[in-house]
Amino acid sequence: MAGNATLAFFEGLDRRRHEPLLEKIKGTVRFDLQHRGQTEHWLVAIDRGDLAVSREEQDADSVVATDPELFEQLANGTENGVAAGLRGALTIVGSLHLYLMLERLFPSPPDSQGPRRRIRREGRQ
Amino acid sequence: MSDELGVVKILDGNTFVVSDDRGDVEATPSSPTGLFALDTRFLSRWVLTIDGQRLNSLSVDDLNYFETRFFLVPGEAAYYVDAKVSVIRERSIVGSFAETLTVLNHAEVPVDLEIRIEAGSDFADLFEIKDEAIDKKGDYYAEVQDGHLRMGYQRGTFRRETVVSTTEPATVEVGGLTFTVHIPANDKWTAEIHVKSLAVGPGGRDLRMGLRAGGARGRDQMQRELEEWIESAPSLNCESEPLQTAYRRSLVDLAALRYSPIALPGQYLPAAGLPWFMTMFGRDSVFTSLQTLPFVPSLSATTLRILAALQGTRIDDFRDEDPGRILHEFRYGETAAFEDQPHSPYFGTVDATPLFVILLDEYERWSGDTALVHELEKETRAALNWMYEYADLAGNGYLWYERRNLKNGLENQCWKDSWDSLSYSDGRLPGYPRATCESQGYMYDAKVRAARLARLVWNDPAFADRLEAEAAALKERFNRDFWVEEGEYYALGIDPDGGQYDVLTSNIGHLLWSGIVDAARAPKIAEHLVGPRLYSGWGVRTMAVGEARYNPIGYHVGTIWPFDNSFIAWGLRRYGFVEESAMVADGMIDAAEFFQGRLPEAFGGYDRELTKYPVQYPTACSPQAWSTGTPMLLLRTMLGLEPHEGHLAVEPALPEDMGRIELLDIPGRWGRVDAFARGRIEVRKKVFSTAELT
Repeated sequence: MAGNATLAFFEGLDRRRHEPLLEKIKGTVRFDLQHRGQTEHWLVAIDRGDLAVSREEQDADSVVATDPELFEQLANGTENGVAAGLRGALTIVGSLHLYLMLERLFPSPPDSQGPRRRIRREGRQ
Repeated sequence: MSDELGVVKILDGNTFVVSDDRGDVEATPSSPTGLFALDTRFLSRWVLTIDGQRLNSLSVDDLNYFETRFFLVPGEAAYYVDAKVSVIRERSIVGSFAETLTVLNHAEVPVDLEIRIEAGSDFADLFEIKDEAIDKKGDYYAEVQDGHLRMGYQRGTFRRETVVSTTEPATVEVGGLTFTVHIPANDKWTAEIHVKSLAVGPGGRDLRMGLRAGGARGRDQMQRELEEWIESAPSLNCESEPLQTAYRRSLVDLAALRYSPIALPGQYLPAAGLPWFMTMFGRDSVFTSLQTLPFVPSLSATTLRILAALQGTRIDDFRDEDPGRILHEFRYGETAAFEDQPHSPYFGTVDATPLFVILLDEYERWSGDTALVHELEKETRAALNWMYEYADLAGNGYLWYERRNLKNGLENQCWKDSWDSLSYSDGRLPGYPRATCESQGYMYDAKVRAARLARLVWNDPAFADRLEAEAAALKERFNRDFWVEEGEYYALGIDPDGGQYDVLTSNIGHLLWSGIVDAARAPKIAEHLVGPRLYSGWGVRTMAVGEARYNPIGYHVGTIWPFDNSFIAWGLRRYGFVEESAMVADGMIDAAEFFQGRLPEAFGGYDRELTKYPVQYPTACSPQAWSTGTPMLLLRTMLGLEPHEGHLAVEPALPEDMGRIELLDIPGRWGRVDAFARGRIEVRKKVFSTAELT
């Protein structure tokens, strides 16, 4: 059921083992991807930046429910996780803070170019 | 709280009500009146009538920032009121909005009355009101259910609802509540009305319901917290009544403006201002924290933590986000939810990032809290890296900005963020990217201060050396590239090819604060700041008289901003210009008296001689956080409070007419200490008339 970007996102987290952006938090976030009565679970355990991903359906400090299609778009950067939450397209029960911290790991929008630097810089001054 | 004629506001966090002096709301698409929460208007109509008659206000009691009381009588305003019936309308926001109506029958005979509250909502997003364009893509609905009036708006999964209920028997219909009451002679009738503002999620539950929240605070708890807030701040005794009033007003308004993000219940940072900016702003939160650090240091710690937690991690052109950048603005309304606006959050600010670093250092100097400096080491390094890696758009070592969101990103990402705030002296607007002078000052200061932290806390002397070398090189370059030879001041900004925005502006005052000004040039800068083109007699204008775009009521091109003046006063003191600093402080405290101690966001740049009183800028926010922080920073500069090797140095430079001041229990790494001063600086009250200039 999970799309390619979704798999890549969770596998990426699992492989990373440690994420400096999450060093201030400890807790579990469970993503429930619901489609036609079926739910796929992804559990991300964070311990001061150390990461472990599993498919267990167990209690978590933050439970994020959405449909797999939207999640796939979050995981490939075409949708934004905060805007989706504000729209109610994604719901969070438990710790919102944990979700917001994890949300920062979703990739950049694919069409974003970044700053347009006019002149190439030569070395640090 | 009420400051403008006939406008009454109460608030708790980002829930607030703005009404007329009867308590009624009759919003138009462009007026910011109504009940607001989550950046959405939940009530646009809320009108009380008795037997079909509107009420007339006898008085309004501001009980607290979260509760108010209206005394009303039926009928139109008249010179002489002889009412048989009067109404006490009490309202509060304690998490949600509630109103208690008490109708008193003063007659010797019973009365039968029809008491009605009309209720309606347009669910406008604050940005739709700001842009005067309410164009709803979703559907409205309204129904009566179990005696509750439920009004809603739905667009896809986005749903917001207003639910109105009452404790007394009433006829509830779409459009309002009607009470048909019989009140015996000399008796009264009372009803409570509750209004809930809901963000409805799937399954009909409020989206915030399942969140681990701080638990609702009751009225008594809010009252207690307010008292504790005031008690734990230093107490001021002074002979100057305007200063005393402004300080007290500021403390209470600052309490009102505290804002706790949904994700971090119980943690408060200052929101930017009522009614337009009741949310988290990077720049405003940092400036306000800097101003209030000697008085309420806890705001600084939470501001730093929250901004660090939401620091940019991605490249996102719509949100102007880059890794390491500190956010500009976070909103919860429909326009953010559907990405009509980029505030989820938006990062288009050039200065919040260096200001974040400055605040961390200033906070440590006062508090000695090296644990927080450790905790935020990575974020601080990322902030410094952002300036180098993402913001040097012309590749010449300056801090530049150019929006990538061309639809509704900010054209100007400095504090003067209106579209026409930057210009050349002849009025032309510059191209992109843009580099403003004060941003270079902040970057310089951020590097100097980060070097101190790197040495003191992070144990990285090599990094400190590098930062100091970069800062020194920047200072030298800046003094070469930004100096306007002819006028002898710093240009407002420069073009990538080196052309100068050669206008004289208040920004040069921030340069003194940052320390980037060459000592030899500082006297000239001080002279400009209190000279006739910039100084009005009340304060320093954002832009000097004589510039093509100068306009005494132009938002950033001639008005006077109290917060701007407080940093200018700080800068003047930093370079030893005690008299000039005292003069700026004195003028601003004089102005505060005309606003009952509550300095507005901005007021007109007219000469003091001409208008005799400061003219408020029409749509300005009030209270506005960094105006609220202004009297505090002015107190700091007048008393010359500076943390120095673990203790607090006090070196007063007080205007003569302030008399004696004692500021007791100033908190910091020294525990609590007192500061005393007597006014000895003779301030030049004589104000030049700009008529002589033009």
